[in-house]
Amino acid sequence: MAGLCRVVSGLQYRVRLSSRFLRSSFSSDSGPAEGPVSGFAAAFDQQEVLRRETQSSAAGPKASSSGPELSFAALLRRSPLIQMGPAKDAVVVGRVFRVVRDDLYIDFGGKFHCVCQRPAGADGLQPGSRVRLRLQDMELTARFLGASTDTTLLEAQAVLLGPKEAGSGGEHHQND
Amino acid sequence: MAVRALTRGFRYSRAATVASPCGGHHYVTAPSVKPPQPQADDVTEKILNQPLEKPDFFRVAELFSLKDLFDARVHLGHKKGCRHRLMEPYLYGCRLDHDIIDLDQTMEHLQLALNFTAHIAYRGGIILFVSRRRQFGHLVETTAKDCGEYAHTRYWQGGLLTNANIQYGPGVRLPDLIIFLSTLNNVFQQHVGIRDAAKMNIPTVGVVDSNCNPSLVTYPVPGNDDTPAAVELYCRLFKMTINRAKDRRKQMELLHGLSAPTSQTSRYALK
Repeated sequence: MAGLCRVVSGLQYRVRLSSRFLRSSFSSDSGPAEGPVSGFAAAFDQQEVLRRETQSSAAGPKASSSGPELSFAALLRRSPLIQMGPAKDAVVVGRVFRVVRDDLYIDFGGKFHCVCQRPAGADGLQPGSRVRLRLQDMELTARFLGASTDTTLLEAQAVLLGPKEAGSGGEHHQND
Repeated sequence: MAVRALTRGFRYSRAATVASPCGGHHYVTAPSVKPPQPQADDVTEKILNQPLEKPDFFRVAELFSLKDLFDARVHLGHKKGCRHRLMEPYLYGCRLDHDIIDLDQTMEHLQLALNFTAHIAYRGGIILFVSRRRQFGHLVETTAKDCGEYAHTRYWQGGLLTNANIQYGPGVRLPDLIIFLSTLNNVFQQHVGIRDAAKMNIPTVGVVDSNCNPSLVTYPVPGNDDTPAAVELYCRLFKMTINRAKDRRKQMELLHGLSAPTSQTSRYALK
């Protein structure tokens, strides 16, 4: 008990010495082949771990959660595309990236874009404007007679609901 | 190469012409065609062999991460009905009829493909970018221009590779690597270039989507080839790899004290 108190109080003074000691120990031997550490070494390791954890959590919770620890399975499971569920009648936010006369090419974060007709009064929809869509299908495919695979149109189908108002959040926002 | 021969190997060529008749074995090498230059050859051999000692000499694995691939939507495949039977090992699963490509496998395959591309670029090989997707034609052409290589995004004539000597004249140099940003042509058949490259023993790197046939591609990279974000990522990665490899070659040449790169030695004939 007394030993522990001494270690904790002396930690600040000995940080410089012990960091130098740690560095030299890493360079001298390739791996920790000493066996179970005890006493000052164990307590120091524990304090280091605690200090690092507090530092990393103070730096930013976002950085640690989306850091390199996330596997593909975890990334996929938390992605908006999977969380959305079936694409039928899902309301999403898209971005117009090309306008050809009356056709708007809208990218909403899926594999394909969708093409919608510009509604009558909405002349403010330019490339870069955000719109709300109701998805019908993420990819238009159909199996025709005599074919071995589906024929795909390389497009999604969606109904344009209107421009996205700048303040209304809380809707599905695909990664863009 | 001729320039180097004159500057460095001239005195050695004399010795060789004297020595060859005396030896028991007569090597039929005309000294004027390939003069022996032990000094320059050793250095060039060292330059060529040094990258082969490490598995990732050009550190291509640093250029991308799983998160980059995921954000570029590389894992999205076509619908279940469009799936090619041979792509099934590369798929992670199928979610609501949409195929998901396994990005762990894609990471490995992409690393192999980029590493191979880097080695080819390091050795001064000709790389040809091919894609028949009209949406990305300009992007592929600008990528090829930026890294000093070639692109073919137009109609592929039948005998481009197989009949090259007749169509383009004798002694034409074919590409040493063909990179397909999309292995399908506009009618969803496999691009003719894949079969032709296999016939002409040209290695290929190809981005194969879930409706493509990966069999004849030497280094298939399972991934999305329809979304602009994904194709931009591939173009950027290939461009960075090729530029990195070429810069490394220049660095190695300067390091080993070979002549400063002149305009004649811009395409090294040594392989």
